[in-house]
This record gives sequence, C-alpha cells and structure tokens, in this order.
Amino acid sequence: MTQRIITRRQFLKTSASATIAGALLLDSRGSVFGFGEGDARSRVVLVRDENALDDLGGAREAVMQDMLDRAVTALTGESDALAAWRTLVGPKDVVGIKSNAWGYLPTPEAVEKAIKLRVIEAGVAEENIAITDQEARTHPTFKRATALINTRPLRTHAWSGVGSLIKNYIMFVERPSAYHGDSCADLATIWKLPHVAGKTRLNVLVMLTPLFHGVGPHHFSSEFVWKYRGLLVGFDPVAVDATGVRILVAKRREHFGEDRPLNPPAKHIQLADTRHHLGSADPEKIELIALGWKEGVLI
Amino acid sequence: MYQSPVSSLPVSLEGWVASSKDSVYDRTNLYDYLDGGAELYLSFGFRTLVNRAYSRPGQPDIVIDVFDMGGSKDAFGAFSLSRETVAREFGQGSQCTEGSVLFWKDRYFVSILASPQTPEANAAVLTFARLIDESIETESPPPEILGLLPPDSLEERSIRYFRHPAWLDAYYFLADENILHIGDTTEAVLARYGSQGERLVLLLVLYANDGDARRAYEDFKRYYLPELSRNAVVRVEDGTWSGCKVEGRLLAAVFDAADNGRASALLQSVFDRYRANGRRS
Repeated sequence: MTQRIITRRQFLKTSASATIAGALLLDSRGSVFGFGEGDARSRVVLVRDENALDDLGGAREAVMQDMLDRAVTALTGESDALAAWRTLVGPKDVVGIKSNAWGYLPTPEAVEKAIKLRVIEAGVAEENIAITDQEARTHPTFKRATALINTRPLRTHAWSGVGSLIKNYIMFVERPSAYHGDSCADLATIWKLPHVAGKTRLNVLVMLTPLFHGVGPHHFSSEFVWKYRGLLVGFDPVAVDATGVRILVAKRREHFGEDRPLNPPAKHIQLADTRHHLGSADPEKIELIALGWKEGVLI
Repeated sequence: MYQSPVSSLPVSLEGWVASSKDSVYDRTNLYDYLDGGAELYLSFGFRTLVNRAYSRPGQPDIVIDVFDMGGSKDAFGAFSLSRETVAREFGQGSQCTEGSVLFWKDRYFVSILASPQTPEANAAVLTFARLIDESIETESPPPEILGLLPPDSLEERSIRYFRHPAWLDAYYFLADENILHIGDTTEAVLARYGSQGERLVLLLVLYANDGDARRAYEDFKRYYLPELSRNAVVRVEDGTWSGCKVEGRLLAAVFDAADNGRASALLQSVFDRYRANGRRS
C-alpha cells in the first residue's frame, strides 16, 4: 500500500462538507485535490425552458433548437447561432455526433436533429455527418471524422456514479469493460486515444429529464427522473459533467431530505481533472452562465 | 438442466406474452447484458441470471431478471445495495417503486421492471412478483453478521452488506485505498444510527481469522486514525468522534458520532453481542 493515501480526514480538515467532498469527490471547496493548471476558467452554459417537454414528456423540436442556439451562442460569444456554429465546424469537416441509446433514457431525437441541422447550416455536407452510439468505433463516417459532437442525457450509474459525457466515449474502445476498473476511474484516457483526441468540438449534456437515483439491475425507475427541462453545453466535458453532477446532488438532497452523495462516487470526473488533466471539475474554475427558466434551477 | 424461478411463470399474463426464449447469463458474460451494472453482482457470488421479457401491444415491455446469487447472504447483499425502504410485500425483503419491484428470497435476487409505467403494467408487475415469490418455496437466513448490529436507533433501511471495497467507497468513503482489507474472504456491513442531525455510522468487518482482523486494524490505525494508540474513540477534525476496536475476527468502527459517549457505547454494544454469540458470526 502506498504512503500517499487520500482519506476522508483530509477532507474534514479542509471542508465542512465532508459528506459531499469525501463520498462524491466533487464539489470540494478547497479540497485536498489540486485542480488543473493555470487560471483559465471553463465556460459552461445552462439553458432551460419551461416548454421544453410535451405532455408525454418528449422533447419539443422547436424548443430544442432554440435552447441549443441560445446555449451555443452564449458559449462562443458570437452574435448569432449560425456564426457560433461556424466557429465549431465547417465545410471541410466530417462530423460524428456521438449520441446515447440507453433504452430507458436515450438522447432525444429532437436534440440530435437540432445539432445536425446547425452542422449542415455551418457548411458540412449531409453525407459527412453521422449519428450513432454503439457503432462509434466502427461507423464509416466516424472512422474518417475530423470533428465530434458529444451528447447524452445525465443519469446516475450503478458503477461509475453517473453516465457522463466523459463516459459516453466508452464506445470508442473495443472492450468497454476494460475501463470498468476502480469504478471506471480512468475513463478520461479514452479521450486521448488517437482516433478521439482533439476532435471534440462541443459537448451537450441533456438535462431534460435526468435520472437522479437508480435501483435494481437496470438502475432505473421512473420515480427517480424529474423534469428539469435543461441542456448543459460546453467545450470542457469535465466542467460540464461536474456541473451536471452538482445539479444531481442538489436534487438528491431535495428529494431525500438529507445529503445523499452519489453511490458509487463519480470518481472518473474528478480524476479526469486531477489525474488526466482533461478539463476542470472545480466549481471555482468553471464560469457558469445560466439562461432561461429559473424555477427549480438547483444551482 | 438449471431450473430458475422464471421457468414457473406462465407464457402469457394479463395480455403480456413472453418472448420466445429466455436469456441466460453467467459470470463470463453478464457484461453483455448489464455492462457496468454487472459489477455489483460479480462483486458477490453471482452464478446465473435468467432474463425474460414480456410484450403487449400498446403497453411497455415487462423485463424480469432473476439472479441466482449462490447463497442467501449474497442475495441479501445485492438487494441491500439497492434498497431505500424496508418492506416485505414480496420475498424476504422488497422495494416497490413506480413500475418496478425488487426483492430477495433464499438465494435469489429478483427484479421486475416496466417502463414507462402504466396502471396496467404496474398491476402486471405486481402479479409477476407474487408468482415468482410463490415459486421460491424456501427462505434462508440473511447474513449472521447483521445480528451484531445493536437494534437501538438502527436505521434499518441503511444496512448495506458487501464483500468488495468498492461498496464502502460508495456508501461511506474512507480512503482511496483498501485500508481495511475488505475482500472475498471478509464480510462487511455498514449501517446508520440515530436521526438527521445526530446520525452516526457503524461499520463492521468480519475477517477469516484473528490475524487478518488485527492486520486490518493496524492499517486503519496507521492510515486513518493514528490517535487510536491512545484511545478507542477520538475526536476528529470536524468535531465529531470516530473510533475503532478489534477483537477476534471482528473489527468495528464508528464515525460521525456527536460525542465520545455515544460512539463508545455503540462499540461496546457490538462487542457485547459478539461475545454473547461466542465470538462467532
């Protein structure tokens, strides 16, 4: 056993919120972990719309388009959506939209469509765009992709703590279970594989109906989803995931009436920052821009 | 030929019709079905999963999974890591949420799920649960180590039984290494006591032999509570009290206690029960 063991007591020394800091390994104000290098802050845009969902809980296409446009415009600082998208992709790009097909909570088709439409309008030929989850490693378009757009819903996960943007790239490897060790601690290494590294232009974490708690082998019950009606958008997947987790943890606290850290902790998000330097999980290093509907925002 | 409780179910029920063939998984291919979710069951003595799906036009599929966990201890363990409530509508312990029933009985852990839920699907889920419950004819005892938990102010729904260190990380993070040597040859149980605001956490670990218990205690002392050299219960940085004792094969640790007396009394009560049980569990 190594001498440099991180323990709960180190969190107790530095934070009154040991339950969160220790068990979640996130949201650790002044934690024992160092965070990234330099002072650059990662911008994350949260956009919400009260009318995002129809009566059956499905995503409304027109509202998704509007939410995505507002988020990307704010993220890039451009004057309008088209100008914003043109900073992300262009006519020479081949674009893979990495979606998520988990049966109980897939990426809504309306979100996929909204992304694809703006990618086309930014100049990418339709035949150079593909949307997939399971075939990310083998799909012909993904194999020649110059740009990736990563989108999935946020949910708790029985082994990795949460199904995150970082985890969404697990389908880029041949044997996903090889990355399950230590609660999926090192998922961020996938982002440094040659066929993935440096290609991600945008991350869209779907927060329309997140799953904040799971039970049973399928880790799902409709009792534990709620209509948050939001999207979280950013360039830094670690920052977006970490922000999403803060909202999940807040919802768990509200629902259960007490601190209820994720179990297992979302260790892979923290380590994506501290071990793999993929981005920033530290709220102090995240610039959060919140747009739209404010009721029940939880952050 | 392996006989799962699933085989006792009817081919059709209340309009739902079973898919043509059950799927069967073992330790070598459970990932194919549950991916990351498989880890929980593999961290116990999981042997076989039989899965059957029922379909009905205009209604959600109903997915039935019956895990043979090899023994009742591990069936309880898998259930304990999911539950939020204490109930016994089905089997030896159950949890019902919208469109879902989980329960354990004998060596089986059972999950029945319909999503999205509808009134018809909810009713069918409950009927399937009852049929499976009835088909498992015997009950078997939960882990004996649970008997060492003092019952006074125990929050029963918080009881977690496990044999893999990941679950200690999950429910009460102590350290980023396995300083208590929890593994295949140990049994561990974690539980909360008291109510919101004055809650404390009790961890019991039963080792294969006295030596293993002593070695774990020494590492816990070395890496987590060096002050244990002077006292069994010490005040830590956030003002709460933590303590740890080892005797025979049993290590008991208490965390987050509001005062020394409460922590000491709980440890004392655990070892009183251990001794009364002939230092067995």
